[in-house]
Amino acid sequence: MAKTEEILERLKQCVLKGDDQGAVSAANDAVASGIDPDKAIMEGLVAGMGEAGALYEQGEYYVPELMVSSEALYAGLAILQPLVLSKGTNTKKGVVIIGAVQGDVHDIGKNLVKLMLQVGGFEVHDLGRDVDMEKFVEEGQRLKADLICMSALMTTTMIAIKDVMPTLRAKVPTAKILIGGAPLNQKIADAWGADGYGESAMDAVKVAQRLMKCAV
Amino acid sequence: MMRDTMTSAERMGAVMKGEKPDRVPVIPFIFGHCALVAGQPLACVFDNPEASFKVQLQAAELYGYDGTPLYAYASAGGWEFGGDVEFPYKKYSGATVVTRHPAATEEEALNLKVPEDITKAGALPLALEMARLQMKHHMPVTMHIGSILSWTGSVIGEERMLTWMIRKPELVHSVLDKVAQFQVKVAEHYVKEFGPEPIMAFVGAATESNRLISPKQFETFVLPYVSRVNQSISDLGVQVFFAHICGEQNKNLKLWQKVPFGKRAVMSFGREVCLKTAMEMFPNSIIAGNVDPSLIQEGKPEEVLDQARECIEMAKYHPGGYVLMSGCDVPPLAPPVNVFQLIKASREFGRY
Amino acid sequence: MGGDKMTSQERWEALVRREKLDRVPCLQFILGHTAVVNGKPIAKIYDDAAASLACQRNAMEMYGYDGLILHGWANAGGFEFGGEIEYPYRRYTGAPMVTKNPVQSEEDAANLVVPKDITSAGSVPVALEFSRLQYKLGMPVTIQVGSPLTWAGSICGEERLMPWLIKKPDLVHHVLRKITDFILAKTELWINEFGPERMMAFDLCIETNKLYSPRQFETFAFPYLKEIHGKLTDMGVAIFLSHICGEQNKNLKFWSQLGFGKRGMISVGKEITLQAASEAFPACVIMGHVDPVVIQEGTPEQVLALCEQSIAEGKNHPGGYALMSGCEVPPQAPPSNVAQMVKACRLYGQY
Repeated sequence: MAKTEEILERLKQCVLKGDDQGAVSAANDAVASGIDPDKAIMEGLVAGMGEAGALYEQGEYYVPELMVSSEALYAGLAILQPLVLSKGTNTKKGVVIIGAVQGDVHDIGKNLVKLMLQVGGFEVHDLGRDVDMEKFVEEGQRLKADLICMSALMTTTMIAIKDVMPTLRAKVPTAKILIGGAPLNQKIADAWGADGYGESAMDAVKVAQRLMKCAV
Repeated sequence: MMRDTMTSAERMGAVMKGEKPDRVPVIPFIFGHCALVAGQPLACVFDNPEASFKVQLQAAELYGYDGTPLYAYASAGGWEFGGDVEFPYKKYSGATVVTRHPAATEEEALNLKVPEDITKAGALPLALEMARLQMKHHMPVTMHIGSILSWTGSVIGEERMLTWMIRKPELVHSVLDKVAQFQVKVAEHYVKEFGPEPIMAFVGAATESNRLISPKQFETFVLPYVSRVNQSISDLGVQVFFAHICGEQNKNLKLWQKVPFGKRAVMSFGREVCLKTAMEMFPNSIIAGNVDPSLIQEGKPEEVLDQARECIEMAKYHPGGYVLMSGCDVPPLAPPVNVFQLIKASREFGRY
Repeated sequence: MGGDKMTSQERWEALVRREKLDRVPCLQFILGHTAVVNGKPIAKIYDDAAASLACQRNAMEMYGYDGLILHGWANAGGFEFGGEIEYPYRRYTGAPMVTKNPVQSEEDAANLVVPKDITSAGSVPVALEFSRLQYKLGMPVTIQVGSPLTWAGSICGEERLMPWLIKKPDLVHHVLRKITDFILAKTELWINEFGPERMMAFDLCIETNKLYSPRQFETFAFPYLKEIHGKLTDMGVAIFLSHICGEQNKNLKFWSQLGFGKRGMISVGKEITLQAASEAFPACVIMGHVDPVVIQEGTPEQVLALCEQSIAEGKNHPGGYALMSGCEVPPQAPPSNVAQMVKACRLYGQY
């Protein structure tokens, strides 16, 4: 037990400190010790990312720190996630489509949201950046998405969200829609008929989880 | 560029009184474009008087022109007599269109009735709401009452009407008569509500174009009715008329000369009628026009400026008065910088 | 026009010379929008010097604001160092976008060199043509000079650069050094052709505290900004305009240590109060800071109210003040909204 706690703590700290190699080593130790891979991910890696996110909210960590933390998380995930999948017990919480809208290549925030939703047990389909708006609709229909996340970092691109909303509502009526990005705010999200708005990447993850609980 | 020494109201007031303004006034003749430059749906100028009033004022402020908000649409008549319309919410649509004409068959035309309560007929509730806003803000109260043939075409269907003019002229006359009655009823209501002094009767004559009808047909189907309506309106005390003589109407001008237009008329013309000709034919009226709307939409700013300058140089000293205007509705999608060239031209070339 | 006692030209010159003004000037950070109101593709602002200048001048005349007319875009650098860009011809695009960063790996970064021929690097040919047109028309000759850290993001890709700040700081410094050398060489080119007296150097700096810590700003942004600002000030550059984008309150103490030519102009967004800007830059013109999102999405009344507030806060700053949007006026902003800014200056900004 003590060893389990120690390994989980190491996983967490490696993510917090952005130590890729340490995360790989701790992940291998977790496997060798027979720790449930789901537990190692959630209570080790994801817990570390959660703390990094909290430090970001407090103004201690900034985006570079979040990015190195996410690199470490991915490094550990590369070891642990195949084991979760091979167990076959991985129940998906929902199908998520995520992308940066047409004309927008800013995707750091979107990538952080994607990461957190993936490790949180969602099936995430990343459409990438500068995504044609029709693709959100098509993929939303094809995948029967539960949640569609769109990010826009510029006033020019945020308009694409407003424009596509009626089509999304008509063609993917059961999906919740979550938007985020610097020029957006709750008032605009409400005016445009989005179900949720994320003020930051971390906030978006919380809103997504709230929306999906409502959906399930 | 000169600095203005009059407000818009002072400038227009001077021209209306036959006095000298600081420079040539500018009334672009501008509807849907106002909504778009305000970031609002184009249709709001037709289906939402409060929004329409607001966006028109905002556009006037943006560009610095002298016109005040008004309510009108080219295909008026059909809805007022019980037909159906569609407001321009679809892509590429720019104005209200009639989707069902109320006198589309001979039987319907024969049985056509003049609406009892004009305040509920078609766009009249919207037009009256706009009129009340105009009155509240001490602006001219515009009353859209024509043209007679355009409205009749909207009631019957333009294509059908043009055919009936040859095959069933009595039907056309019957509908024209009813439309004329309706327009007089509208005027009576406006005068009752607002008094005659603030009212400016607005006549938009598009179907009368010689690309559609001959001068003979104008004489037969338009002249008697428009004269009757305008005279009735004048008899009610309305003194000011604004007539937009749209498109190619050179062969109608001698006939338009016979139409009464109250005590003070603004006659606006499209590119097809030379301003010099208009000045000769209507020496006592304020002449307005006639920058090509297609140029405003597709041309370069300097081309618009140049054509506006030509118009000003030609008509500036018309004894009846002159207002720079586009030849028809400024296209909604016209680049704002192009629209601005009208005001720029007035300031650069239109000083008195 | 509208009761003004000065022309735009007179007002701009009075602001630069610290002379008396009739009213608060309105200076716009406005690029793609000027193409839209001219009925031209937004991309023309960036890829066609003559069209860009014409659009900007026409828009300025229509709206009645007092400046600025310039050529540049925030995410510059990637193109200049050999990457690929896409000009904003597509729907929803508003500025050039880097489609292939010239640095794709640590090796690329380590091997990054200053382009041999500055005159043909990236956007320089168009920018130079633009400046020649400005010079010919007697206007201030503008040159974009950074910022280096923003350019580093364009060159390496932000997602690649940011972890390097922690894991490979020397590599980042190497890239920043090359960028700074490029900017200085480019400036020399401009000074040799136009002389420093007519020049307005500007940097667009998006190293906000939403991305970077103040410590990271101090380490990776400040030294290079200081070098560029210092050298250009020593060279006699007349005007230095810095757009301090977004949340940078924790960076102000570094910004305030920089040189700003003979006349500094600082533009800030709504995230920085005009009071804070005034205290940080007592001798510079401060400009700002109407929320561009409100200019795009709000009503004219809302825009006017924000302008009134900004004017009240900034009007009496000893170094001078101009009303400006907090960042680029959105290309698709309703013209009636944009018009509120000059209207506000006339209503609330009389001296």
